[in-house]
Amino acid sequence: MPLLKIFGLTQRFGGLQALSDFSFQMEEFQLVGLIGPNGAGKTTVFNIVSGFYKPTEGGVVFDRKPISGLKPHQITALGMARTFQNIRLWNNMTVLDNLRLAGYAWLGYGFWNAILRTKRYNQSERDIENHAREILEMMDLTDYAEEFPRNLPYGLQRRVELARALVSKPRLLLLDEPAAGLNSADVEDLIRHIRWIHEKFKLSIWMIEHQMKVVMNLCQHITVIDFGCVIASGTPEEIRNNPSVIKAYLGDDTL
Amino acid sequence: MEFFLQQCVNALQWGSFYALIALGYTLVYGVLRLINFAHGDVFMVGAYLAFFVSTSLLAPDGMFGFSREVVLVLTIPLTMILTSMVGVTLERIAYRPLMRKGAHRLYVVITALMCGLILENGNLALLGASRRTLPELLDKTVYHIGGIAVTNLKLWVVFTAVLVFFALYFIVTRTRIGMAMRAVSWDRFALPLMGIPLEQVVVFTFALGSAIAGLGGLLFAMSYPVLEPYMGAMTGWKAFIAAVVGGIGDIRGAFVGGFLLAFVEVMVAAFLPSTFRDLFAFSILLIILWQRPTGIFGKPLTTKI
Amino acid sequence: MKRYTINIFLFAAAVVLVLLAQFKAPGSDSKILDGYVLSILMLIGINCIFAVSLNLVNGYMGEFSCGHGGFMCVGAYVGSLLSVAFFSNSKLFGTALFAPYLAPFLFPLVLLGAMLAAALAGLLVALPSFKTRDDYLAIITIAANYIIISLIENIDAIGGPRGFSGMNKTINAMTDLVSLPWMLMWTLVGVYICVAVVRRLMSSTYGKGISAVCQNEVAAEMMGINTNRVKIMAFMVSSGLGGLAGVLYAHVYGYVNASSFGLLKSTEGLVMVYLGGMGSISGVLMAAVAFTLLVEVLRFVIPWLNDGLHAIHVLPDSYQLDQVWTWVFIPLMLILLMQFRPEGFLGNRELTHVFPRLKRWFTLK
Repeated sequence: MPLLKIFGLTQRFGGLQALSDFSFQMEEFQLVGLIGPNGAGKTTVFNIVSGFYKPTEGGVVFDRKPISGLKPHQITALGMARTFQNIRLWNNMTVLDNLRLAGYAWLGYGFWNAILRTKRYNQSERDIENHAREILEMMDLTDYAEEFPRNLPYGLQRRVELARALVSKPRLLLLDEPAAGLNSADVEDLIRHIRWIHEKFKLSIWMIEHQMKVVMNLCQHITVIDFGCVIASGTPEEIRNNPSVIKAYLGDDTL
Repeated sequence: MEFFLQQCVNALQWGSFYALIALGYTLVYGVLRLINFAHGDVFMVGAYLAFFVSTSLLAPDGMFGFSREVVLVLTIPLTMILTSMVGVTLERIAYRPLMRKGAHRLYVVITALMCGLILENGNLALLGASRRTLPELLDKTVYHIGGIAVTNLKLWVVFTAVLVFFALYFIVTRTRIGMAMRAVSWDRFALPLMGIPLEQVVVFTFALGSAIAGLGGLLFAMSYPVLEPYMGAMTGWKAFIAAVVGGIGDIRGAFVGGFLLAFVEVMVAAFLPSTFRDLFAFSILLIILWQRPTGIFGKPLTTKI
Repeated sequence: MKRYTINIFLFAAAVVLVLLAQFKAPGSDSKILDGYVLSILMLIGINCIFAVSLNLVNGYMGEFSCGHGGFMCVGAYVGSLLSVAFFSNSKLFGTALFAPYLAPFLFPLVLLGAMLAAALAGLLVALPSFKTRDDYLAIITIAANYIIISLIENIDAIGGPRGFSGMNKTINAMTDLVSLPWMLMWTLVGVYICVAVVRRLMSSTYGKGISAVCQNEVAAEMMGINTNRVKIMAFMVSSGLGGLAGVLYAHVYGYVNASSFGLLKSTEGLVMVYLGGMGSISGVLMAAVAFTLLVEVLRFVIPWLNDGLHAIHVLPDSYQLDQVWTWVFIPLMLILLMQFRPEGFLGNRELTHVFPRLKRWFTLK
């Protein structure tokens, strides 16, 4: 049984067809990529899978449960986390608080416990704090725990976002262009970190990425879409040599 | 049936007032994405200005001693010009510095609300609580059409509202300045790059909106001659509701919304105790904003990630 | 022990206030704190509750609620009705439900009932807030304020536009049992509860969800925060505490009128929050004290200024400077604040951020 199964996904915005009949599936512990030219509909796929858009047609099954129509926070609680193309951190909170808040989905207490400071509250806050600090440590971010994200360099912000996504204890991680805007040293770091989390947490990762270096290095399997349709899928080697992919990226009249 | 038709006539008159004020809200919002909460009080100031202009022109021992018809003809443009100056002043001293600093929109909204309070209470503090009465500028004629009484004033009010609407529609869709106004609402930052003077467009918008409010104030004062400082607050809110009902930012919406709201209000007042009128109006606003925040003519918004 | 210095000091200050209001000055017939000064003290307390509760929505959540007076109104009316139904014979409710000597013990029920009712009224704003933000939400809150007031003014049984009274009997019942400055004590307790609730909420991960919604709603939703639930929670807590301010207000003055909780009341709250700094409890508390005192000072300064200006013939004899000028001055103050220091006294920092050494002297739990 695949971890994630998408079938017949179609999305229209008014007259614009952003996706048509997109199907896909991935197994547990896979690391796969989604590529395509700008405006091909990649982020739309992620937005549907993570619950931000409701698809016009089709459905998504995650871990044997149909999830299209659920709210994003419900999907997160089922074990999916994502990062964003343009970094979306909570800038007026410290890095540690950013991570702590990502544990919201499995917070073991509610309003009254917080007001009355019960045992349950203390236990739960301690658990979250420990988990967040653990992740900080793993992602080499401990030194920045008390910094505000807006004061950090871009590469670090990306890493904080990745760390934050991990705190919610996901089984599937969606990365939307994790290498966008990074310099080559940062990209090396990122590749190392992603590979390492993949191994360490036994995570399944699905990423959108433009930088071929990242995709070709990391992904076991790649799907290519253009104008909302799948045009190819296969191993990095197959994709590299696929004529329709080259056509989509470079245009018709090459060669 | 006659009762119903008579109420419809009243609704048309009220709708005209609401529409005249709502047009001002919508113009400013359409251009600046700013809800000019002081607009209702600009309307009040317009009514007071009409009072001062007309009484000083009418004064029998004054230097003019015009006849009433001449006074009316003079009062209309004078009130409009003076009121538009009030609106432009507000923009100059309160909103523009904030906009220039790129302040958060909330700060501008708060400033607008506070400007409204200052206009109301400043008026009360300066002129005192005594109510003022606009002199009668138009001879009252009552036409009877099958049992319905219509005064000539009511006809004038409705006619003016319709006229203003078409004039405004023409300005916004057909003239260069109207095109610039629409351009500002699309992209305020690209505008100076295109050689369109942003601040002039904004000033023109405020002047236009306030002038219309001033005209509304004059007509309102002629229809209900008792003036008091808080008269603009509630009427202004109602007009604002009208603009939201129609879809704020769209002048057709403001016009239609004004009449719609007036119709509902007049009918509520006709069949229920009149104290329920405000309750209904605000409940409508709440429900519309909740269910369809962009109003009748507005387009739904989508968020992008 | 050192860590409790300021806590103990604040507690001692509260006790001293109560004692001052309890005992007579030697050689004088009236109590040391009485009448006007006492009522100002209680008003300061009420304004603190009002502002700190509004701060939860306007500061921490970054929404713009300008109808907080409406919730205060709900609290004031529901609290007054409960109080009259519980402890006094009235035409409206018939005989009292409880014996008068129970008043001091059951008064918390009155407070709780008022808070619950106000919190429910908060739903009026919370539900539309799912889809709208910014200026549209501001309008919703204003509409809610008008709706609440208009609704109460249309219910003739509770006095309609004439207002409602009869709460004095509850206070009398309390003083009959033990002669203490009861309302001052309840107000102090109210301030403590309000500050403790907001403080505890905002220092817990659960409550920080509110800041997350404020700063990036999309990220909040995507990271597993039920944003709709967070909004409901924040609005209900805020309006519930606003209701607490209302019920105390009603009992301090012994009379309520819906029209005194209109847009002007809400504006007072806004001034206090923006003066203190959005999202700073200590800043807002300071602002509430400063603002209340300022309004009272103006009450004296305006007649004084009037006489002075008449004496030097700046003002024409026919014109009298009156209290309406307060309401020109306060909006003007807020406008200037927006222009020159929109972050208020402290911005979103607490006193402990400005003076880190303070942390050694007190503890907040």
